[in-house]
Amino acid sequence: MASARKRSRGESLFLRYAILGAWALFCLVPVLWFLSIGLRPRTEIITPQPIYVPTFSLDAWHMIWEDWPMGKYLRNSVLAIIGSVIIDLILAIPAAYSLSRFEYKGRDDIGFYILSTRMMAPAIVAVPIFFLFRNFGLLDTIWALMLIYAAINLSFVTWIIRSYMLDIPKELEDAAKTDGAGELRILWEIIIPAILPGIITASVIAMIFAINEFLFTLLIASTPDAYTMSVALANFTGGSDGVIYNAIALVAFLAFLPVFLVVVLIQKHLSRGLTMGAVKG
Amino acid sequence: MARIQLNNIQKRWGAIWGVRDVNLDIADEEFVVFLGPSGCGKTTTMRMIAGLEEPSEGEIVMDGEVMNDIDARDRDVAMVFQGYALYPNMTIYENIRFPLRMRGVPQDQHDTLIKRAAGLVELTEYLDRKPSALSGGQRQRAALARAIVRQPHAFLMDEPLSNLDAKLRQHMRVQIKHIQRELKITTVYVTHDQIEAMTLADRIVIMDKGAIQQIGTPDEIYNDPANTFVANFIGAPPMNLIAGVMEQGTFTAPGVRVDGLPAKHDGKVTLGVRPEDCTVTADAGHLTGIVYGVEPTGDMTYLTIKADDKLIEVKAHRDYRADLNSDASVGFDPKRIYLFDTASGQRLR
Repeated sequence: MASARKRSRGESLFLRYAILGAWALFCLVPVLWFLSIGLRPRTEIITPQPIYVPTFSLDAWHMIWEDWPMGKYLRNSVLAIIGSVIIDLILAIPAAYSLSRFEYKGRDDIGFYILSTRMMAPAIVAVPIFFLFRNFGLLDTIWALMLIYAAINLSFVTWIIRSYMLDIPKELEDAAKTDGAGELRILWEIIIPAILPGIITASVIAMIFAINEFLFTLLIASTPDAYTMSVALANFTGGSDGVIYNAIALVAFLAFLPVFLVVVLIQKHLSRGLTMGAVKG
Repeated sequence: MARIQLNNIQKRWGAIWGVRDVNLDIADEEFVVFLGPSGCGKTTTMRMIAGLEEPSEGEIVMDGEVMNDIDARDRDVAMVFQGYALYPNMTIYENIRFPLRMRGVPQDQHDTLIKRAAGLVELTEYLDRKPSALSGGQRQRAALARAIVRQPHAFLMDEPLSNLDAKLRQHMRVQIKHIQRELKITTVYVTHDQIEAMTLADRIVIMDKGAIQQIGTPDEIYNDPANTFVANFIGAPPMNLIAGVMEQGTFTAPGVRVDGLPAKHDGKVTLGVRPEDCTVTADAGHLTGIVYGVEPTGDMTYLTIKADDKLIEVKAHRDYRADLNSDASVGFDPKRIYLFDTASGQRLR
């Protein structure tokens, strides 16, 4: 009996790992494929015959670092993204606190208005935003990118954080009040630590959106001073050299890497945060 | 530490009444329990004392000072919540320390006060743990320690034991009563558990539908109920209430006849008698019916008798046994019979 149970438990464990392994492979193949394209010579990628043993080459690697200011693009991306997430959190946390905790006229309408900004097609506001930023002298600066990424993501960051705040029992705040804490103290010492998984979840999603943002970046950035990784990718698709696939693959991989690393570092919080939001939000 | 007066307190949300006409004077160091079914307004009344709800009308006075416009954080009351409300990101030590920090108690006193409070609730060895690493009983004690760490004007406890199992609840009940007596702090305690109310309270305030039904010591509430609601709410099993007619001192209802009652209450009357004041008799008693249920519990036997369509509970001797549907006769202790006006439910004296 015991050995049969042990065997069946072993089989179920094997099955579990097999399914999860297959899923991991399914997700990882495109990434690895990109990496393999990036680390092969350009000629080998466009040859029509299948190649079973690829040649390793750092041509594209050298090219993107030596011929292009890739370090600058990467730095621009990281600064703009981090800056935008900070702006989002500074604005979204008090907004979400207000929307989730205080009763006032028009509260739900304001909440819906904030969300509705996300429903608009970005192209509609592209031209006004270009003129606005030009008038403020912000074109071609990282500050402009921070602001625009923050503006794009603010609505859903607010809503994600709001949904987490709604999950916090009111008793916790009542307890803090009777203990002698004021509203700001409650927000800072009780609410924010309690919704940390939500803040992390919202930040990571905002980072992913920001790193993939292309339209406004292209509009605002006209020189490498403000180019980000997503716009840099476009540099390899035109010009006299044609489409440089291995460089595109490598840059795409580099653009993916920072977010991937962040997710790996905070995955414990993130998985808890995502499920919390899904179940209770 | 404080006398608390509630003067004509009302609370309503639009057309919905939460609390109406509550008048109560809680003496310094008194332990008052609000008792009533869910939705009776007891928690709302307590939240108004804490400053977490604003009364629609009336005054809340503490030690002669009107508190209506004073913020919850400045009222200096300590509250214990049903769901414990421990701050999940802080250790138990930090949880207990929180009110000290908020109220500007000098830092060098914190450690002594925290350890004293933790010692009172036997929690000293768990101070470095997070709330999630504690059992329900330990969390409850931590919440209690957070309340008693400073000397507030009053303790407000909102069903603090309702999430605990029966054994732990009994233990915590004794602990709460002991701590309250030791610290001599006015305490308002909300519960729907009558055993908690009877064992803890100096006075019980029974509430229903937002209004106070009776205020009295546990003995008064049990032995001298003001109306059928109180009579029926207190006691397990509750008081038997039999609707009938009184004529010249004789109460009659189907299967029931009681003579020698006060002659002044002629008309539709409800007779009340507690299960422990009923005795199974061999000869004709006050009530005759058939045995509907026999439930031995070890120390006694619960007997249910059906008289007409009414079920009457009797606490019989632990050896009492009877066949179902057999005839039974029950006598009432004449000194322990209560009469109520059937229409209003008010006690007739």
